[in-house]
Amino acid sequence: MHSLRYQRPARIEDALKMFGDDSDAAYVSGGHTLLPTMKQGLARPTTLVDLTAIPALRHIDLDHGHISIGAATCHADVAASAIVRENIPALAGLAGSIGDRHVRNRGTIGGSVANNDPAADYPAAVLGLGATVVTDRREIPADDFFVALYETALEPGEIITQISFPIAQIAGYAKFRSAASRYSVAAVFISRGPQGVRVAVTGAGARGVFRAHDMEKALAEDFRAEALAHVRIDPATLLDDLNGTPDYRAHLVQVMARRAMENLGSAQSYK
Amino acid sequence: MLNERAFKAVGRPLPRKEDLRLITGKGRFTDDFNFPGQVWAAMVRSPHPHARIVAIDSEGARAMPGVLGVYTGADCERDGLKPIPHNPVPSTNFDVKLTGRGGTKVFIGSHMLLPADKSRHVGEAVAMVVAETRDQAYAAAEAVDVTYDVLPWVADTAAAAEPDAPRLWDEIPDNILVDSSFGDVEGTEASFARAAHVVTMRSHVGRVTGVPLEPRAAVGHYDTATGRYTLYAGSGGAVRQKRELAEVLNEDQQNLRLLSFDVGGNFGTRNRAYVEFGLVLYASRKLGRPVKFRAERSESFLTDYQGRDLVTEVSLAIDADGKFLAMRASNLSNVGSRCVSLSPLSKGSGLITGSYDIPFATLRSRAVYSNTMPTQAYRSSGRPEVTFAIERLIDKAARELGFDRLDLRRRNLVRPQQMPYVNAVGSSYDSGEYEANMDRLLALADWQGMEARRAEAKSRGKILGFGFANYVESSIGTPKERADVIVRPDGVEVVIGTQPAGQGHETSFAQVTADLLGVPFENVTITLGDTDVVSAGGGTHSGRSMRHASTVLALASEDLIAKGQALAAHVLGVPLDSVVFEDGVFRVADRNTFLSWFDLARRSDDEGLPAQLRGGLKVRRDSEMHTPVFPNGACACEIEVDPETGGLDIVRYSTVDDVGRCINPLIVHGQTHGGIAQGVGQALWEQCVIDPGSGQPTSGSFMDYGMPRFDNMPSFKTQIVEVLSPTNPFGVKAGGEGGTTPAPAVIMSAVEDALSEFGPIDFEMPATALKIWSHIQSGRARLRSSNAA
Amino acid sequence: MTTVSMTVNGSPVSRDVEDNTLLAFFLRESLGLTGTHVGCDTTQCGCCVVHVDGRSVKSCTMLAAQANGCAVTTIEGLATGDKLHPVQEAFRTYHALQCGFCTPGMIMAATNLIDTYQGELTEEIVREEMEGNLCRCTGYHNIVKAILAAADAMRPARRAAE
Repeated sequence: MHSLRYQRPARIEDALKMFGDDSDAAYVSGGHTLLPTMKQGLARPTTLVDLTAIPALRHIDLDHGHISIGAATCHADVAASAIVRENIPALAGLAGSIGDRHVRNRGTIGGSVANNDPAADYPAAVLGLGATVVTDRREIPADDFFVALYETALEPGEIITQISFPIAQIAGYAKFRSAASRYSVAAVFISRGPQGVRVAVTGAGARGVFRAHDMEKALAEDFRAEALAHVRIDPATLLDDLNGTPDYRAHLVQVMARRAMENLGSAQSYK
Repeated sequence: MLNERAFKAVGRPLPRKEDLRLITGKGRFTDDFNFPGQVWAAMVRSPHPHARIVAIDSEGARAMPGVLGVYTGADCERDGLKPIPHNPVPSTNFDVKLTGRGGTKVFIGSHMLLPADKSRHVGEAVAMVVAETRDQAYAAAEAVDVTYDVLPWVADTAAAAEPDAPRLWDEIPDNILVDSSFGDVEGTEASFARAAHVVTMRSHVGRVTGVPLEPRAAVGHYDTATGRYTLYAGSGGAVRQKRELAEVLNEDQQNLRLLSFDVGGNFGTRNRAYVEFGLVLYASRKLGRPVKFRAERSESFLTDYQGRDLVTEVSLAIDADGKFLAMRASNLSNVGSRCVSLSPLSKGSGLITGSYDIPFATLRSRAVYSNTMPTQAYRSSGRPEVTFAIERLIDKAARELGFDRLDLRRRNLVRPQQMPYVNAVGSSYDSGEYEANMDRLLALADWQGMEARRAEAKSRGKILGFGFANYVESSIGTPKERADVIVRPDGVEVVIGTQPAGQGHETSFAQVTADLLGVPFENVTITLGDTDVVSAGGGTHSGRSMRHASTVLALASEDLIAKGQALAAHVLGVPLDSVVFEDGVFRVADRNTFLSWFDLARRSDDEGLPAQLRGGLKVRRDSEMHTPVFPNGACACEIEVDPETGGLDIVRYSTVDDVGRCINPLIVHGQTHGGIAQGVGQALWEQCVIDPGSGQPTSGSFMDYGMPRFDNMPSFKTQIVEVLSPTNPFGVKAGGEGGTTPAPAVIMSAVEDALSEFGPIDFEMPATALKIWSHIQSGRARLRSSNAA
Repeated sequence: MTTVSMTVNGSPVSRDVEDNTLLAFFLRESLGLTGTHVGCDTTQCGCCVVHVDGRSVKSCTMLAAQANGCAVTTIEGLATGDKLHPVQEAFRTYHALQCGFCTPGMIMAATNLIDTYQGELTEEIVREEMEGNLCRCTGYHNIVKAILAAADAMRPARRAAE
């Protein structure tokens, strides 16, 4: 791996300053996307600013109908959190289905959301629950946050501090994983809550996570799996790779949507 | 001969001697060795499948921090390095004889450490950078500027065999290096002419890679004072690699020492020398410092020797009663850019008729060069490919002609009373109870309960598929082996030239030695892997090790016992013929006097011993054994397909394996388990994909190359059968490869059974969820249109 | 360069290393603890699993500097003197290793699973929870058996600790 400077500030202000001091700086949290990318030489930041020592970024709180999760909280902690398990079991289940148990001990929610990998799980929950991404400078609604593959509304240097999830009445998640990478080939997160019915799809979209509006409409009228029977997903907007053709993914999205409905209120996400 | 009743260690599931160091982090793998002053090598790898090397500009790289040297193919030639002498044509008396077209010599393209003329596959090393640190070496390798003249390329096996395909070697008119025919043409043609049915199948058993979890590594040191080279490099046999690397370096063999201790998986991939092994030695000579290379996993995916890649066309002539009359086969093996081994083609060629009594057969065996990484013997080299061909063809015949698929097999199996059975291409099966294996297997797999399970699966929306395959494989391998057996006052040491990578030789060879000599298992240690200690040896491949080791140990122990008797007679002052060896001690008849091995060892350096008894209580024995053995068995599995996603679960997996004498059941079952996983992996997930447009490999990491994992493998039911082989003292056949050999066939048989309502499957392995789902879709569409019509 | 200090297998260590040093190579090359292996570059094989502050992590995907101030346990620190950890013992008894390259990571993953999993371990759960560790030799069969047996053997100790 190339040479770099590693820094671990304890305050957000310091992190911003360190980032600003090097035009090739990158933030790192769990590092479970960034470090493999760096090992392959696909990213070469010369300064790494580690955000995990900033206490303000590590918490899981319940307040006023929201669960707010600090950006540097690892997946294992979200999966095990009593607050999350009781209030949004599907979110706990989703966190517990990411990568493997070692990855979940390091990878963080903030890192996952900021990276916006088209096959990552968390973007589906953020979009599917209508969460708010809170940064050091503003609050960004999920609908405005995810822009394109690996692209978000974050400005250079902007730090996600927490994600605030409105507590849904009910939510469910289902995914179909790649036999090799174990990332989703197609996964669907469905919730019904203060923002109505929301259906978010990850793993399948050519531009990353997206909302399936036709499914939302159908479920808003009749919140049962059967209501999805005739809703089609347009393959033209879907990914084409070794794991699946657009047609296959369009079909999988339907199947996963139905299974997400069957998983409502549970932490089940695959199998 | 052997007294089985005296066996105290053989046949017992003893925990392994090697485990203590491995479970406490004290293993000795190649990258665990470091030397003072050590520097690092990195390879500059070709980005093109086929390109002439026009110029290599290393100036920029040389100027980078820490860089000590940059070496190219031209440098290697200038310094007199020779190609790696892979010696790829199998040559024991019982290997089928492969030749070039019309009986000519097989053309072997030269395999230099670095090519000076052109790169012939993506990832081929075209230059080496050595630097103080590994990071510096890899960074500088990126800065080496190679000018290529990109050439037309071919990667696909069948396409490479076409007469107008881009040509890799100027020395031959096309890419075909082997074209041999075997069998009785007249008998075969006559049988086909009178057959009631002929069934034909074409299939491509695709390219996979071994993925030993230890990435390959080497650390070489040239001692300027002694002129001697030392290389630590995990391999499948240090003795062979010493011989070959000595040739590469143009050195005397005694000037090389190779050490291979714990090897983190092999499966065939490490049986041939890698260019980096020679290169670190070369660089060390140039620089006077130890040089280390450790591959990234991505380099291993690209440039570990790969496996399989056989296109096969088979036809079976069958009479009205379902009796097999004759077989025609044509096999085309893709050796990649250089011919490292023809073992896969050769091994398979001798077994095309499988477990069945087929009186006539003809076979055309061809091998072809292509712009891909060279292939090598991989996990049951050649046998899964031909087992796939015959077993899938029988399934097809049963389906098309209306036979029961198990019945059709039973009708044609080789029977025990036919043993030894010479098959239609000349292989002599030594022993086995093929139909009894089937019966045992069907009981083990609860075949009776399968339909009930199928109905139950259906109630859950799943489709159950049952797969079945018989198999026979062959264990041949390098014919020579040597053992030194040394008795000391505190124990017995065996020095032998096999090279395990997890097969437990330190344990099972100790079991054999203990029982041959009548000493406790705990008192025997096995020494392997250092060519300064191990003077000769055939290495570990083709399931040869247990058979060759037990044979040479049996011979050595006879010598050792004779020596012990003479020593005992001398020590006790009695005539030689009054000393009897029994129960591990030397007794004098009618006297209550005896000496143990260890008593004798204490006396073996006594002054005044006659000359022939001096020099310690030890023997060296060589053995040469050409006769192959034929492990065999049967295998069944059940899968459940989710028709909505095309995903599947393996829910039951059972095997019966006749391994001959089983020395250590714990180890043999374990070998079978691992073998199964690798065969299943190829059937369901594993594939080295090359993009047909660009020639670029696209499955270069665990992100894209699907592996058997904890959660996609079931627990297995494995049963060992011991029909002793008459060919060697212990009756050993071989274990482990039997797990792999039938696995691709049995999985695809289950997939086809599950999908039968949607029509016969028309896709190749791996049977991915996407392929299964697509098959279901097209099958449904067909059903809909035929219903409409 | 940066100074990294941590507790490894109970002993404090401190070394100056390049900032880009991964924890796995810090253990192997700076400390000579070569039991921790590196088998891939995409955080998948699990050969490098160690415990950091009681959690299992893939040490190839963590900078040594990120473990500054932490307590790290490697395969070398698992046995107590000559007394093997029950998981090590079970791996030997059930022949849960062949070449042994994945074994250190496998054992570290298994000990952490048994220590931290809430509830009863079954074959299905072991297979699901261990999927981040690859083995090429065993087909996993005997590893699953060993982990379940070790979990059984450790249960009384776990209960007492609760």
